Amino acid sequence: MILKTTNLSKKYQHKDGVVNALNNVSFEVNEGDFVTITGASGSGKTTLLLSLAGLIKTTSGQIQINGFEVTTASDRKLSDFRMMHIGFVMQSFALIPYLTAIENVMLPLAISKLKKNQKYEKALDLLKLVGLENRKNHLPQELSAGQQQRVAIARALVNSPSLILADEPTGNLDPSLSTDILNLLKKINREEKITILMVTHSPLAAEFGNLKIKLSEGELENEPKGHNNKI
Amino acid sequence: MNIRKLVWLEFKQHKSQLISGLLAITLGIAVIVGIRSISVVSEKAVAVNLDNLGANILVLPQASNVDNYYSADIDSPTIPEEYVERIVSSNLEGVDNLSPKLTRRVKIGNENVVLTGILPKNEVASKPLWQKSGLLGNETKASCAPSNTANKSNGYEDEKLKRKVIDSLGTNECLVGSAIASKLKLSDGGKVEILGEKFKVTRVLTETGTIDDDRIFIHLHRAQELLKIPNQVSAIEIMGCCNAISDGLLSKLRNVLPDTKITTIGQIVSTQIQTNKMMNKVSLIFLIIIIFVGGISIGNFMWANINERRKEIGMLRMIGFNKTVIYRMILSKALVLGIIGGIVGYFLGTLAGMWLGPQLAGLPVKPIASLMGVSLAISVGVSLLGALIPSYLAGRIDPFKNMQEV
Ligand SMILES: Nc1ncnc2c1ncn2[C@@H]1O[C@H](COP(=O)(O)OP(=O)(O)O)[C@@H](O)[C@H]1O
Ligand SMILES: [Mg+2]
Repeated sequence: MILKTTNLSKKYQHKDGVVNALNNVSFEVNEGDFVTITGASGSGKTTLLLSLAGLIKTTSGQIQINGFEVTTASDRKLSDFRMMHIGFVMQSFALIPYLTAIENVMLPLAISKLKKNQKYEKALDLLKLVGLENRKNHLPQELSAGQQQRVAIARALVNSPSLILADEPTGNLDPSLSTDILNLLKKINREEKITILMVTHSPLAAEFGNLKIKLSEGELENEPKGHNNKI
Repeated sequence: MNIRKLVWLEFKQHKSQLISGLLAITLGIAVIVGIRSISVVSEKAVAVNLDNLGANILVLPQASNVDNYYSADIDSPTIPEEYVERIVSSNLEGVDNLSPKLTRRVKIGNENVVLTGILPKNEVASKPLWQKSGLLGNETKASCAPSNTANKSNGYEDEKLKRKVIDSLGTNECLVGSAIASKLKLSDGGKVEILGEKFKVTRVLTETGTIDDDRIFIHLHRAQELLKIPNQVSAIEIMGCCNAISDGLLSKLRNVLPDTKITTIGQIVSTQIQTNKMMNKVSLIFLIIIIFVGGISIGNFMWANINERRKEIGMLRMIGFNKTVIYRMILSKALVLGIIGGIVGYFLGTLAGMWLGPQLAGLPVKPIASLMGVSLAISVGVSLLGALIPSYLAGRIDPFKNMQEV
C-alpha cells in the first residue's frame, strides 16, 4: 500500500457559507495502481489531489503516503516530501516560458546535489522516453500542446517519484493527442512502476485506470472499483 | 540547472525592465560617488595648501574669483606690477616676502598649460628697497620675531610656509610642474617651445597634488612680454606674520591698494573646508535618500516581477521548492541588481566627477578605486533591503494556483 486516506474532509470557508468539498473520503491505493478519479465539475477532484500533496490543509482525517503523515507535516517537510515522492502533471502544463524543454525537465533538479552533466543526462533520457529528444532546445511556445504536456510529464518523472498526481492532463488536448498522452502515462505506470492518480472528466480516459474512484459532491460514490493488483 | 542558473535565465528574460528597477539606485550611487570623488581631491588640496603654503596673503584684482587659492590667479584680470613697490614703500610691519605673478592658460601642442611668470629670489633680493624693509623671510626675523611662536602654534613651520623658493631663473629657462612634464614628456635639461619661444627646462617640480602640477613657471618679465601684458601681474603673494595679520595688516594693505581684493589663504582654505563639509553633508543626505528611494524602487520592481511570475512561483512551490529556496531566488536577483547598480553608478559618478571636478572645484579628479567597494556595498545592501518584503511575500504565494485555475 502506497497511499491511504482515512475519513478525509475539507471544508472551504467562503463568504457565501461553508463548502463541503470533501466529506469522509477513505480509500487505499497500492503500489503500481493507475487510479482514475472522475466526477462532475465541483465534485472535489482537484481538492482531493491538493490534499494528498499537502498543498492545502484538510479539515479532518488522515493521509499517509509511503508511511509519511501528510496532514500533520510542516511546510518544509511537505516541500521535501513533494520533491522526493510526487510528480505533478497539470491541465495547463505549467511550464516556465523562458526555459527550454530540457531546462524545464531539469527544473526540479535545481536544488539537487547531482552534477551538472548528471542532471542533463537524466533530463535527456526522459525527453527520449516521451519522444522529444530532438526538441530539447525548444521553448514551450515553440512546441505543440501535446508536446508541452510530454515535457511536463518528463519533468514530473525527473526526481523518480513514487506517485504521479495528474489533474485533467488531457483537458487541453484534442482526442487523438489525449490518447497519446494517456498511453504514455500507462507506459510509465507499467514500465517505470510509478503509481498514478489521474483526475479526469472523460469516461474514455477513466478506462485507462485499474482502480476507479468516483466523487459526487465531495463523497465517494462507490467503493473504489478495480482489482488492486500489484504489477 | 541550479538556482543560480534559474535566476540568471529569468533575469535575462526580463532584462528590458532592468532600467526602471535600477534607475533610482544607480543615479543615487552616481551622485554619491561624484560628490565624494570631488570632495576627496578638494580635501587633499586643503591639506596640501595648509602644508605648503607659499604665501599667506594674496593681493588680487577686484574682479577675480577667490574660490580656490591655487587657481585664483589663472586668467583673472590684472593689476599693475608697480603695486609691489607701493606695498614695499608703505613700510607696513609684518610684510615678509612679496611675490608677484602673472598667469594665463596657454596651449603647448594639444595640452592646456597654466603659464605663470614669477620673480626669482635673486631679483627680489637685489632690490635694495626691499632689503631695507626686510622683505625676505630669513632676514626679517627681527621684524617678525613675536610672530614665530604664533606661527608654530598654527601648525606652520616657517620653512614650509614658502612654496619652493626659486633662486634664479634665466630669460629662457622654465620650471615645469610634474603633471604637465609627464604629459609633454619633459625632463630636466629638456627643451620646450612656449608661445613661439624656445625654453630650457631647468627643473621638473615634485608633485604637489594641486593645479601647480599643471603649471610652467617662467620669468615674470618674460611672461609679460610673451603674453603682451606689460607691467601687469595677476596676483601678488605676500608672506605676512600671523601676529601682523591679526593686528590689522589686511585692512592696512587695503588702504594702500584700495582697488584690489586682499585675502588670506586662511579665508580661502576655510571656504574650501566649508564647501567640503557641505559636500559631505550632501552626500550623507543622498545616502539617506537612496536608501529610501532606491530601496523602495527596487522593492517595487521586484514586487511587480514577482506578481507577474505568481503562477511560476506557485508551480515551483508545488513541485517541492521550499520557502527558503524562493527567498534565495528573489534575494539573489536583488544581489545581481545591486551589483549592476553599484558598478554602473560608480562609473557614472566617477565620469561625472572627472568632468565636473575641474569646473566646480578647479581640481583634476581621478577615479577612486576604493569607492567601487563602497558603491557595491551600498547598492547591494539597499537592493537586498528593498527585496526583503517582496521575497517574504513571494514565499507566501499559494503553491496550488496552477491546479485550481482551469
Ligand atoms: N479556494 C476555495 N474557496 C472556496 N471554495 C472552493 C475553493 N476551491 C474549491 N472550492 C469549491 O469546492 C468544491 C470542489 O472544488 P474542486 O475540488 O475544484 O472541484 P473539481 O476539481 O472536482 O471540479 C467546488 O464547489 C468549489 O467551488
Ligand atoms: Mg478541478
